[in-house]
Amino acid sequence: MLKTIAAAMLMSAAVFTVAYAQDGGKVTVITSFSKDVTDPFKAGFEAANPGFTLDVQNKSTSAGVKFVDETKVNNQVDLFWASAPDAFENLKGRNLLAKFTPSVTGLPEKVGSYPVNDPQGYYFGFAASGYGIMSNDRYLEANNLPQPREWGDLLKAEYHDHIAIAAPSRSGTTHLTIETILQGEGWAKGWATLTGIGGNLQQVTERSFGVPDAVNSGQTGIGIVIDFFAFSAQASGFPVSFSYPSVTTVVPANVGIITNAPNQKGAEAFVNYLLSEKGQAVLLEPAIRRLPINPALYAKAPEGFPNPFEDPRFQSMITFDSDISKKRTDVVDTLFDQLITFQLDNLRGATKAIHEADKALAANDQADARVLIAEARQLISAMPVTADEAASDETRAAFTGGEQKTARQAELEQKWAAFASEKYAAAKAKAEQALDLID
Amino acid sequence: MAFALSSNPIRRMTARPGQVLAVTLIALFLAIFLIIPAGTVIYIAFTEKGTGALTAVNFIDFFNTDLFRRSFFNSVYVSAMSVVWATVIALPLAVLTTRFDFRGSLVIQTLGFVPLIMPPFVGAVAMQLLFGRNGTVNLLLNDWLGIRIPFMEGLNGVIFVQSLHYFPFILINLSTSLRNIDRSMEEAAQNLGSSGLRLFRRIVFPLAMPGYLAGASLVFVKVFDDLATPLLLNVKDMLAPQAYLRVTSVGLTDPMGYVISVILIVVSIFAMWLSAVAMRGKDYSTTQRGGGGLVRRKLGFGESVIAYGIVGLILLLVLSPHIGLLLLSFATVWSFSPLPDAVTVAHYSRVFGESSIYIKNTLIYASLAGLIDVVVGGAIAYLVLRTKIIGRRWLDWAATSALAIPGVVLGIGYLRTFYGVTLPDGTPLATLWIMVVLALAIRRLPYALRACYAALQQVSESLEEAAENLGATKQRTIRRIVLPLMTGGLLAGFVTSFSTAAVELSATLMLIQSNSDAPLAYGLYVFMQSPAGRGPGAALGVIAVVMVALCTLLSHYVIERRQKALGMAK
Amino acid sequence: MTITINNTELAVSPAKAISIQNVNLCYGSLHVLKDINLEIQPGEFFAFLGPSGCGKTTLLRLIAGFNNAQNGRVVVGGQDVLEMPPWKRDIGMVFQSYALWPHMTVARNVAFGLEERRLPRAELEKRVAAALALVGLSHLAERRPSQLSGGQQQRVALARTIAIEPKVLLLDEPLSNLDAKMRVEVRRELRELQQRLKLTTIFVTHDQEEANTVCDRIAVFNEGSIQQVGTPMHLYEKPANLFVANFLGTANILDGKVSGAGSTRSFEVEGGGSIPVPEGVEVPAGSKLVFRPQYATIGTVEPGAVPLNGTIAHREFLGATVRYGVEVGTGTVLVDAPFHSGDALLAPGSRTVLGIKPGSVLWLAD
Repeated sequence: MLKTIAAAMLMSAAVFTVAYAQDGGKVTVITSFSKDVTDPFKAGFEAANPGFTLDVQNKSTSAGVKFVDETKVNNQVDLFWASAPDAFENLKGRNLLAKFTPSVTGLPEKVGSYPVNDPQGYYFGFAASGYGIMSNDRYLEANNLPQPREWGDLLKAEYHDHIAIAAPSRSGTTHLTIETILQGEGWAKGWATLTGIGGNLQQVTERSFGVPDAVNSGQTGIGIVIDFFAFSAQASGFPVSFSYPSVTTVVPANVGIITNAPNQKGAEAFVNYLLSEKGQAVLLEPAIRRLPINPALYAKAPEGFPNPFEDPRFQSMITFDSDISKKRTDVVDTLFDQLITFQLDNLRGATKAIHEADKALAANDQADARVLIAEARQLISAMPVTADEAASDETRAAFTGGEQKTARQAELEQKWAAFASEKYAAAKAKAEQALDLID
Repeated sequence: MAFALSSNPIRRMTARPGQVLAVTLIALFLAIFLIIPAGTVIYIAFTEKGTGALTAVNFIDFFNTDLFRRSFFNSVYVSAMSVVWATVIALPLAVLTTRFDFRGSLVIQTLGFVPLIMPPFVGAVAMQLLFGRNGTVNLLLNDWLGIRIPFMEGLNGVIFVQSLHYFPFILINLSTSLRNIDRSMEEAAQNLGSSGLRLFRRIVFPLAMPGYLAGASLVFVKVFDDLATPLLLNVKDMLAPQAYLRVTSVGLTDPMGYVISVILIVVSIFAMWLSAVAMRGKDYSTTQRGGGGLVRRKLGFGESVIAYGIVGLILLLVLSPHIGLLLLSFATVWSFSPLPDAVTVAHYSRVFGESSIYIKNTLIYASLAGLIDVVVGGAIAYLVLRTKIIGRRWLDWAATSALAIPGVVLGIGYLRTFYGVTLPDGTPLATLWIMVVLALAIRRLPYALRACYAALQQVSESLEEAAENLGATKQRTIRRIVLPLMTGGLLAGFVTSFSTAAVELSATLMLIQSNSDAPLAYGLYVFMQSPAGRGPGAALGVIAVVMVALCTLLSHYVIERRQKALGMAK
Repeated sequence: MTITINNTELAVSPAKAISIQNVNLCYGSLHVLKDINLEIQPGEFFAFLGPSGCGKTTLLRLIAGFNNAQNGRVVVGGQDVLEMPPWKRDIGMVFQSYALWPHMTVARNVAFGLEERRLPRAELEKRVAAALALVGLSHLAERRPSQLSGGQQQRVALARTIAIEPKVLLLDEPLSNLDAKMRVEVRRELRELQQRLKLTTIFVTHDQEEANTVCDRIAVFNEGSIQQVGTPMHLYEKPANLFVANFLGTANILDGKVSGAGSTRSFEVEGGGSIPVPEGVEVPAGSKLVFRPQYATIGTVEPGAVPLNGTIAHREFLGATVRYGVEVGTGTVLVDAPFHSGDALLAPGSRTVLGIKPGSVLWLAD
């Protein structure tokens, strides 16, 4: 029966399309969202806008950006729909997004401290996401670990080898998490936190979804993820928990219309639908569980569902400066890769040695050893570049190939990697020396 | 090197028009669908960032970077060790199924092939659930013995997974070679007092060398160029993952990714060249002089028990990812426990409706790609082994280099090359599904090419000369003598291309333009992005594996039938 | 003991006898070897002769161990070998295809069997050299098989087999891949070598000339069973049945039936003519009249001979003889007449008479 109706609708839609070629047809969207997210939206959009069909092309965010860029000469895509705001910044920077003013009004300007929409009107937030710590209950119980709640918790010895994170160079959302920590705690302290967590990492995954996947299956206990991964996993029955640390931010997931969209009307209709109450309601479905940006919808949310517009935790979150973030994106990602991702064995070895020395010190306090351990910590958190250097034109030029560059990217990478491996080796030596002193 | 000369007693002084045409057509095909698209992307390796000026400085940077040097050595080490372990797995299976009267040989040949058909993402998840740090095996080991074995960690983890994944290349090629050895070769050795392992080591295995080398070099190159497995295991200090990470990062126009791609290509071609050199000057073709293929020995009771035991263990090991996949497809929640919490068929009902379009597309794409590969691969093999036409080696190298070109590079290359070309109605050429087929065909061509080589190397030239002598033209000789005798090898090549193309994702992900054109692997990818999609994704994966396995079984059946009809197996 | 050939000293073991007793072999419902019994004397050069598919190669492979008999015994040098695997039998075999291993040089091919026997290096090299010298191929030791001519390959295969000092030597159609001239040469060499080595040898062939020229005795095979065993001369003179008579040399066969009894028995040739059956000669049921072309005269009937009328159908001039095809009754017989210079030849189409001595004809059944 449903099929007949659908067929009839398609037929009439076809007739309609001929009559009013502008209103209807295929709306092509490139998205990084999973089928669980896109299917309900597709169904809702097509029901609310008869005549349109949504054609979903699923690509990872980076592949999607590449695709739109490579095909701009003969663009066939109407919309880009993904989480990471930096991907939209990237598209916008390449003039691949078109300006638009949605017809839906009355939505808040900010979620947490992050502006919902692009100030120039090139892309629009339709859902909010916060970053935090996801953990597998069974795993924690089996390993006798408490649930970590703050970034600082993750530096503790007990979490050594139990944490996963996606490489920020691979995952726009993780990049925002890292940047949030750096902005919230400051460059030096932020990196100390990050290298501290880095020393406790079990794995650095290449895909964003690799982290929740590892936590869901229990391969690792703790993951640094975007909130909806945890919420939808919970809704699917996985024994996982999630917490927002106090230094975090809520950022919107976005949608934007591609320049020269073949179906401009359809693209606009989809953006309007996403922002409409009907569209926002879809976000609450168990397999999606993202935070709507329409505050009215939280009345319908399940119990325990966080409300960024009322929950005091979100109000105290830091202000995210996307200009600073944009300036040093490449540097931060590369630093993370060279200092943590590609040095993981060295960093973990040094951190483990420090944890062991610490443990011995707690049982038998000795001043010399304490100094050595502190020095080892210093070595681990040492940075080859300062915050100013990271955002300087010279350093950025190394990544963009600009004229001010003083070194090529490959040279910088090698320099930083050598720096890290030397410091980690020294830190490990000091920690071992401390342990010898204590024993 | 008098050997090399006299091992090719037939010299064809002049190229025939047909050969020139074949070379030209293949060269055009490779140029348009491989070299130009890949070239448009890879040339970045030779340019300076920012200015775009030509330079070699990037290669100097490559060798000056610790990470890349380490990655290079890790890649070589892992590839070599994977060949060793893949051999350990493939050898008993190949020998038992081709040389012994072994019930279920057909099933084993098929099942032994299944590991190649590992759909992306789901396979990885299933492997982690079984062998990961908190996978089934380790959870049980930890409960019983208080130990964990790091199957899936570090370089050894990569070697473990790669050996399980790619050993079928050796199995397939070695089996074909073993079947083609004239029986009298073995009997002569037995007659002179040789038996058992010594006989195998000294006579049978050396004679099967063309097939083994074809398989082993494929494993080496494939492992060397594979990025999915190391990334799944979070091993990043290997070359292929480094290239991938750099090529696909947002916003970065980092030439190093392309530099690594160039190095991958060079090493791959070098490895293939090495295996060709190893075979040079050895005429291994064995005319079937009525002796028939290797005689199949009957196993005694004790031997049978041991043989079935070994085969069972190996199959259990190599099929464990698929067993995990099957469990996952029926699982409700599977987290930090040896087995899923409960079972359900809901995932299958969810994918049932939408999978038919994926299945149809996959079958069309993969079989077309396989067909193209066998035709082009067979032609290249013939030109290289049977003619002296100029440029034939270049065709071989060009086709082989496809092995080392990352799928994303090819995908982007296709977009760059073909997106600007439009059909009369304005649709870009790159959006047609046939481009997906061509990309798949190019990616899988090296597999088919190796199989065609091995098959042709074992067909004695005298058989062709006999046909020509009886008045058959070159074309008719190929059609009536060479092709029928190569059927086994060609089918093996087709099966390899087909089944691996059926689960290929990387190049297709870039080229799929609409859901109605998408193959199974794409459907899988879409599902495997969310926790709730894991089950349906696994169900789709199971469907893919079953489908490809059935096609493989059918081809094996055809091969066996054919071998019997030709009296090559008894 | 040792012998010296081509200035090479070679060890040879005393010749062994081969005894094949009640051997049967079936492939499913196909009875390939039917109750074979055969005694081959030590040092004998013995041939298995028969058309293709007669079971001769099957029996050879069975002796070598590549086929399994359903029952019976094969005793070589006093030892039942049927239960032994091929590699324990020490029975040398030269394959029809030679089966030289393409991945080894000539020297390595020859050394193979010795290496399997774990011979000390020095002894091994000596024997390889001796075996190659024996077949006159010392200068090609480092070549690969694919670089040799057919005759050379054949000799390598022989050297490889002899090098292991086998108890007996089996040759599976060893001359079939050689050209006619080589064939004559090699078969003489083979015979010479066998005589010197005193090696019990079985030679499988479908060519009666080969068998006749080199072998001491021959077993004629047809359809899985041995038809007759004997020296070439015996088989030619006294074939046991029509098949043997026909397979060895040329035989005239005339249909007909026996009439009368006792001393008045005679064979009535179908379509005309009658030949008395000498007393004491056994004529099995269904027998046919058999005689060789040279045992009849044409145009004349000598005393004691019986005349048979016929018409000359065709003639062939062979030099020393003229072979006439003569229609007798419903059949055609061949008659060889010695040719003397100046003789006039009989013209085809003319009537003639054949003279046949009853003592030189045979009555044979299938």
